[in-house]
Amino acid sequence: MTFPDLYNRRFVLFSGKGGVGKTTLAASFALSCARRGERTLLMELDAKDKSSTLFGATTVDSEIREIDDNLFAVDVTPKEAMKEYALMILKIKLIYRAVFENRIVSSFLRVVPGLNELVMLGKAYYHATETDDDGNQVWDKVVVDAPATGHGIFFLKIPMVITNLISTGLMFDEARRILDLLRDPERTAVALVTLAEDMPINETIMLSKTLREEMELPVALVIANAIYRPLFDDQQVRWIEEARTEVDDDSDLTGFLEAARFRNDRVTMQQNYLKTLRDKGDWPILEIPYYFFDRMSFAIIDEVAKDLDEHLTD
Amino acid sequence: MICVGSGGVGKTTTSAVIGLQAALAGMRVLVLTIDPARRLANSLGIDAIGSELQQIPLELFQEVGLEPEGEMWAMMLDMKESFDRIVERDAPDEETQQEILENRFYHYFSTSLAGTQEYAASERLYDLHEEDQFDLIVLDTPPTTHALDFLEAPKRLADAVSSRALQWLYKPGILSGTPGRGILSVGTSYVTRTLSKFTGGELIDELRVFLRTFSTLFDGFEERARSVQKLLCSDETGFVVVTAPDTLTVEEALYFYDQLDSDALNVDAFVVNRVHPKWVDEAAMERAEYTLAGELESLQSRVDAEFVDANELAEGLLENALQFQLRATQDAGSIEKMGDELPSSMPIACVPYFNQDIHSLSGLDTARQELFS
Repeated sequence: MTFPDLYNRRFVLFSGKGGVGKTTLAASFALSCARRGERTLLMELDAKDKSSTLFGATTVDSEIREIDDNLFAVDVTPKEAMKEYALMILKIKLIYRAVFENRIVSSFLRVVPGLNELVMLGKAYYHATETDDDGNQVWDKVVVDAPATGHGIFFLKIPMVITNLISTGLMFDEARRILDLLRDPERTAVALVTLAEDMPINETIMLSKTLREEMELPVALVIANAIYRPLFDDQQVRWIEEARTEVDDDSDLTGFLEAARFRNDRVTMQQNYLKTLRDKGDWPILEIPYYFFDRMSFAIIDEVAKDLDEHLTD
Repeated sequence: MICVGSGGVGKTTTSAVIGLQAALAGMRVLVLTIDPARRLANSLGIDAIGSELQQIPLELFQEVGLEPEGEMWAMMLDMKESFDRIVERDAPDEETQQEILENRFYHYFSTSLAGTQEYAASERLYDLHEEDQFDLIVLDTPPTTHALDFLEAPKRLADAVSSRALQWLYKPGILSGTPGRGILSVGTSYVTRTLSKFTGGELIDELRVFLRTFSTLFDGFEERARSVQKLLCSDETGFVVVTAPDTLTVEEALYFYDQLDSDALNVDAFVVNRVHPKWVDEAAMERAEYTLAGELESLQSRVDAEFVDANELAEGLLENALQFQLRATQDAGSIEKMGDELPSSMPIACVPYFNQDIHSLSGLDTARQELFS
C-alpha cells in the first residue's frame, strides 16, 4: 500500500481518542521529521506536560524549547494562547489585564464554546504560517497532538462551527484562515490514530467520515497502533491449542502455552478489526507494531520514528 | 458510585462489573453510561442501551448460571435529551421554551458549552437519586483530562451563567462597581467594545439575544448545581478510579486521585484493568531455555495436531514468553509504585488482560470474579 507523503506537508495533525498512543505517534513523527533535517515544532495542546516523559528530563511547557536536534516542543494552554492572541490584537498589556483578567470577563471567556479550542488552533496556525524577517518559513514542520477530550472532534470542528455561526469580526476571520489551512491538502494532513479494538475502530470510522465529508479535511491516513506481530503460523497455532489440553496446570509448559494463546487470540482479534477498518473505507492504513515495553520512553519514540520514516517514504 | 479515569481504560466495563456484583449481592442496581456503548449492551445480553430505564432480564443471567438476588438495570444518559428536559422543566412559559429550543445557539450550546454535558448528566443522576428507586447507582463518566470536570461542571456552569457573570452582556452597567483586577478602571461599554473587537460584534450580539432568553433558566441552574454538588460530596457517594497499568495512565490516575482527595471526596478503590499476567516466572524461563524443545518433542505424540518442528516452536514460545514477561514486570512495577503513592488502606484491585474483549455476560462475570477475588 502506498502512503501519502506526510513529509511533504507543513502542518500535520494527529487525532484520535484517548489512550490510543496519539501523543507517542505525534512525538515519533516529529522526531522523524527532525532527523530528516527539518526544523520541527511539536505542539502539545493542553497536555499537562505529557511529552516531557517522552523526552527525558526536558520540560515541555508554554515556552518553545529545543528538545532534540532540530526538534522543538511546546505545550499550548488555552490561557496562554488566549493571552498571546489578545495581546496581538490589543497590543497593550494594561488593556489586556483590565479587560481579560477581569474576574467576570474571564469566567465568561472560560465557557464561551469553542474559544479555547480556537485560540489553541490559532497558535498552531500562526506557527504553521510563521515567517521571519526575510519572508522565509520559520518552521518546516508543525506537528500537532490534538486533544482527546470527551468532546472528540469538537476541536477540529470549531473553525467550521464558528464560520457557520457568524460572518464578520476578528474571530470569524481567524476561523476562516484556520479552516482554509486545515482544508488545504497541499499544506495539511490529518493522521487518525487508533487501536485495533472494537470501540476505537468504530469511532475512527465515524470520525474519518465526519472529517472528510462534513468538514472536507484531508484525512491522509489511519495509523493502527500497537499491532501484535504474529509469532506463530497456523499449524503452530493449532498445535498450541491442542497441546494446552494435554498439559497439567502446574507444568512449566503451561505458562508458555498460555502466553502463546494470548498472543494468538489477540492477533486474530486485531486482524479482524483491521479488516473491518479496511472494508469500511479507502483510507490507507499504516500498522505500527506493538512494542513490549512501556510506551512512555524515548526508546520507543525512537523505534516508532524509524517505522514511520521507513513506511512513509517508500 | 462514580467511575472516573482516562479514556480507554475499561471504565464502562468496570462499571458493569461493579453493577453485576451488586445485583448478585441482592441490590437493585442501575448502571448509567454516557457513551452509546454497544459492546456494553452486548455484554449485558441486550440489543442496545437506550435513554430509558431498562432491566436486564433475569433469564439472561440464568443462561450463564448466575442467580442474582437483586436486579440490574441499565440506561444511557443522552446529553442533548437531558438538556432539553432541563429547558422544558425550568422555562417560565411555553413561548420562552420554544424560543430557547429553536435558537441556533442552543443546539450548539447544549452540546458544546463547556460543562453542559456534565451538568446535564449530573442533574439526571441527581433526579435518579432523588427518585430513590435504586440501592446503588453506578455511573460511568466520560473520559476527561481532569477528574473533577464532571464534578465541577455544575458549579462552573452555574458560576458562569450566574446573575453576575454574564448579565453584563445583556444588562449593561452591571460591571460598574465590580472590582476588576486590572490597574485601569474601565467601564462596561469599554470591556464589551474590546471584547467585540476580539470576537466580532456579531457574536456578542447573538450571545446577548440568546443569553437574555436563556437567563430565565439560571435561577434553576444555581439551585440545582448546589444540590448536585452536595450529593457528590456526601458520604452517599464514592469514587472508583479506573486505570490501566502503563506508566502514563497510572500517572493520570494518581493525578485524578490527588484532585478528588484534595476536595475531600471519598475515593473507595482503584481498579487496574488489563494487567498482563505473569505466565512464566524467571526460574521457569531459565530452565526452559534448554529443556523446552525436548519437552515439546516428547509431547508431540499426545497432541492431536499436525507435527511441528519442536526447536522452531520452542524458539517462538521463548521469545513470546520473554516479551510478555517484560510487560508483566513493568505492569507489576507501576502498580507497586502506585500503591506506594496511595494511602496503604486504599484497595487496589487488578483485573488481568484477557484473551478476548468482554462481550458477554459470562465474560463480565469472569472479570467480576477477578475484580472481587
